[in-house]
Amino acid sequence: MTEPGAQSVESGAHAEVEGLIDNLFRRSAGQIVAYLTRLLGPENLELAEESVQEALIKALQGWPYSGVPNNPGGWLFQVAKNTALDAVRRNSNFASKHPEIVAELDRKAASTDHVDAHLEEQLRDDELRMLFMCCHPALSPNLSVPLSLKIVGGFGVGEITRALLSNETTIAQRLVRAKRQIRESNISLELPSGRDLSQRLDAVLEVVYLIFNEGYAAFSGENLIRSELCFEAMRLGKLVADSSLGSPKVHALLSLMAFQAARLPARVDSEGNMVLLEYQDRQLWDRQLVAFAFRELEQSAEGDEITSYHVQAALASVHAHGEDEASTDWVTILSLYDQLIALAPSPIVALNRAVAVAKVHGPEQAMREIDEVVDQGALKSYYLLHAVRGRLLRQMGKAADAAANFRSALECPCSEPERKFLQKLLADCEEGA
Amino acid sequence: MPKFMILIYETDATSGKLGPEKQKAVLDKYAEWNKSLRDKGVFTGSERLSSAGRVLRKADQKLRIHDGPYAESKEVFGGYWAIEVGSFEEAVECCRNSPHLDYGGTLEIREITTCPVN
Amino acid sequence: MAKFLLLLYDNPADWQTFSPEEMQQAIGKYMGWAQKLAQKGILVGSDKLQDNGRVVRKSANQVRVSDGPYAESKEVFGGYFAIEVKDYDAAVAECRDCPHLDYGGTIEVRQVDVIPGR
Repeated sequence: MTEPGAQSVESGAHAEVEGLIDNLFRRSAGQIVAYLTRLLGPENLELAEESVQEALIKALQGWPYSGVPNNPGGWLFQVAKNTALDAVRRNSNFASKHPEIVAELDRKAASTDHVDAHLEEQLRDDELRMLFMCCHPALSPNLSVPLSLKIVGGFGVGEITRALLSNETTIAQRLVRAKRQIRESNISLELPSGRDLSQRLDAVLEVVYLIFNEGYAAFSGENLIRSELCFEAMRLGKLVADSSLGSPKVHALLSLMAFQAARLPARVDSEGNMVLLEYQDRQLWDRQLVAFAFRELEQSAEGDEITSYHVQAALASVHAHGEDEASTDWVTILSLYDQLIALAPSPIVALNRAVAVAKVHGPEQAMREIDEVVDQGALKSYYLLHAVRGRLLRQMGKAADAAANFRSALECPCSEPERKFLQKLLADCEEGA
Repeated sequence: MPKFMILIYETDATSGKLGPEKQKAVLDKYAEWNKSLRDKGVFTGSERLSSAGRVLRKADQKLRIHDGPYAESKEVFGGYWAIEVGSFEEAVECCRNSPHLDYGGTLEIREITTCPVN
Repeated sequence: MAKFLLLLYDNPADWQTFSPEEMQQAIGKYMGWAQKLAQKGILVGSDKLQDNGRVVRKSANQVRVSDGPYAESKEVFGGYFAIEVKDYDAAVAECRDCPHLDYGGTIEVRQVDVIPGR
């Protein structure tokens, strides 16, 4: 039984077809590819993908006439297995060496009419193994991310291209390289153990959060596929959290993602303008996701390990606690940033911390900290560095200096909504000057 | 039992181009075949399509409608017989005595899927 | 009222490049269109034909059976929807919003002949 909040994590956001739940095809594709890959071996990943594509096409061609079957997932599973079975039988060498695989593929379900709970569990397990395989150390993150999206997420190459703001040739090449690497390194679906498993889990969480951030960096109206990534990342996080590999830090990441995703509806106004956290209409925040995030935060509190996900989730929760911007507990936020800087120092964290410093100790101190602490070389082309400095200078009454910083910000790469936002800041400055 | 459609692709005979005298002979032969299928207990339906029709396609998102189909472009589908038999082999057997083959026509046998798999 | 078959031709290879999500959306559109026909009370039947049947011909007085039809270059007849409407114009009108056209498919509209004495 899924809980509210978890419901939207699992189903994403889409229009419905009668009898077909949201994202059924995409998720079935991921699960069945995982199942067939486990059965046939990762070196036959492409056969697994082709078999699933065949099943989806047959559904597309037939269901408009026959209607959606009672158990659409089961139907797709059966047809994909049949397709794989035909291919395996045609390769007599393979078939004779692996009669048990042929037998497994040939095994008919007692009834495809009803959902088989045992099969569901098996498919979730296979999907998890696939996700862990995609994050194998031999695959760099720029291969793991598109590979995970393709074979676990069930996204198409075009969709991944738009999601990652890349081009199709690049994505296609990365997928080819990833699959080649899997074959050459003999990467298997076996889960590692001990420390290797722990490292692999960290890699998985990193990839999941990368996928989330790709989606979160988008603004609605820019591309719906990108916010779909946020929900996919959360679905994957929940898959790990609900399994035997779940641990407090997985819940921490899930909590962090849920707090951020809850804010998605408020991040852009009706004209497509970016709305900063401090100005967001909190009535628009997804209450179910916020509740889910708090529950996950609680679960992450077990045990001794404190990861940067824990601290970031705690930070997000402090913002979510406040009725409005004015009642935000900046003192706690600052102390959490102190913790984060110690755990995972980075120029961007230092910059975000400086914003909290300004709220607690005033803009002058924040500016001093930015100048001292922030590695300005590293963030020179990060528009937020200049934007934050500009806003602090404005608060200090130095409009001309502020304007200069906003102009520098505009010279940095940023999205259209970000550009409009900066131009507004600049215009306000020039008015005041 | 599986259901099959035997698709009739037009020939001069079926499109009435043989002239009125020969036409009666053609109709009789098809009627005979029709009866043989009924007598076997496999007949579930048949329909003849009129030769005039319309063809719809979209090019550059614009809908184009023209009269057709015309024989020059491809084999024209003329109608079908629907039968219920155990296998393709049996369906093929039902076709052997079809006059359509004698008039140089092509029969295509396709299995009908209206039910979900399994 | 007359009976018309709306024949849907497609090239199966076209769906290969579709993502699972795109295919789910396509199904929704087809089903929406079919539901429209049903809700209007004009849908009297539909059948999907499986690919890869048999092709039967006679040459030199011998019946020859081969597997087929194969798509390669030509469009394959995939299935039909049967509707009962006033005339060709009415039948064509029902096809205008059929998603098949947006996915590059062809629709052939053919009136079913009423054969007296059947």
